[in-house]
Amino acid sequence: MLTMAQLLAPLHQHRTNEVVITTMSAARPWGRLSGHALDFASVDSAMGHGADLALGIALARPERRVICLNGDGSMLMTLGTLATAVGARATNLIFVVCDNGRFETTGNQPIAGAGRVDYAACARATGFPSVHRFDDARAYAEALPDILRTSGPTLVHAALKPGQEGPIIRGPAEDAPYLRISLSESARSLRAALGV
Amino acid sequence: MKIGAPTTKTAPKTLRALTASGITHIVGLPDSLSAPLFDAVAHHPVLRLVTVTREGEAFAIATGLWIGGASPLVVVQNTGMLESGDAIRGTVLRIGVPLPILVTGRGYERMRAADVDPAQTPSPELLARVDVDSVAVLTERTLDAWGIAYRTCEGEDDPVEAILDAIHGAREREQPLALVMARELE
Repeated sequence: MLTMAQLLAPLHQHRTNEVVITTMSAARPWGRLSGHALDFASVDSAMGHGADLALGIALARPERRVICLNGDGSMLMTLGTLATAVGARATNLIFVVCDNGRFETTGNQPIAGAGRVDYAACARATGFPSVHRFDDARAYAEALPDILRTSGPTLVHAALKPGQEGPIIRGPAEDAPYLRISLSESARSLRAALGV
Repeated sequence: MKIGAPTTKTAPKTLRALTASGITHIVGLPDSLSAPLFDAVAHHPVLRLVTVTREGEAFAIATGLWIGGASPLVVVQNTGMLESGDAIRGTVLRIGVPLPILVTGRGYERMRAADVDPAQTPSPELLARVDVDSVAVLTERTLDAWGIAYRTCEGEDDPVEAILDAIHGAREREQPLALVMARELE
């Protein structure tokens, strides 16, 4: 299994001008690491809909890749989005499912089917042309540059060790800049960064 | 008839109005009322169709489209609108997306035939009546509860004009605005 740091560090290293949407336990550590103008945390928003939001941006901006660091519990809430992304031909969309088997930020409660749901198989069965599963940090880091170049939609199922990220409350107490402002301000900041 | 081809002659009027008003994407899930529009958009050279699996997706996808600079119109049945509560709250309302929402109104004819006043408080007895479709009884009350401005198109109202009003109204208010379509689309 990977740690969250082992998942995020290579992505930070290889990321160029991609939009990165984060949810749940990835939101705070990615915000500490990145601080990029094209980051957006789907936090204090709608349950499970970060992947949908990423899909919308991807469809609006086909010239740019959009990466969604999604929780496994969040992905389960909107599994239908896999079919929607395929139907919409979102070739520039990359879902990374952070599979730790827990609702980590609300206290590490177990999710339904923890450890038994194969998200890569779900994506493959739905018609994703680019599907990957990683349990090993080195294999993931080596494969990532090609994954970021491949036509999608793409799904990366990353088996993660459970962490200890606590609840996220937008405001000045958060250290990641994109979590210090409101969801509305963050959306308008991303629009500005995209030149809208 | 060719499968998937537009099924009414009047859809082009709606399509012309949508493109003229700058709409780029139709996002939603079709019902019998909106199916001709979905069919027509699927074959349109400019408008893009995003068909979802569940209506809550539509509001988050539309929010992403707006962030990315597109101009979406969400089209869902009132049943699907009720399903979308947290998606609407956590995306279009939380962010303040100037999103026009076309809500096709299942159950309005039955409500009228049963002589039910949409303004009356829905009792458990009313919601269980066999001659009343409870979704119509709850549609406008739910929009009120969510704080979403709406207009209702019914009777002799022009549906194309009503859609255009909703699009321009959402932009002027810089907030979501719903149009409840309690009659056939043209």
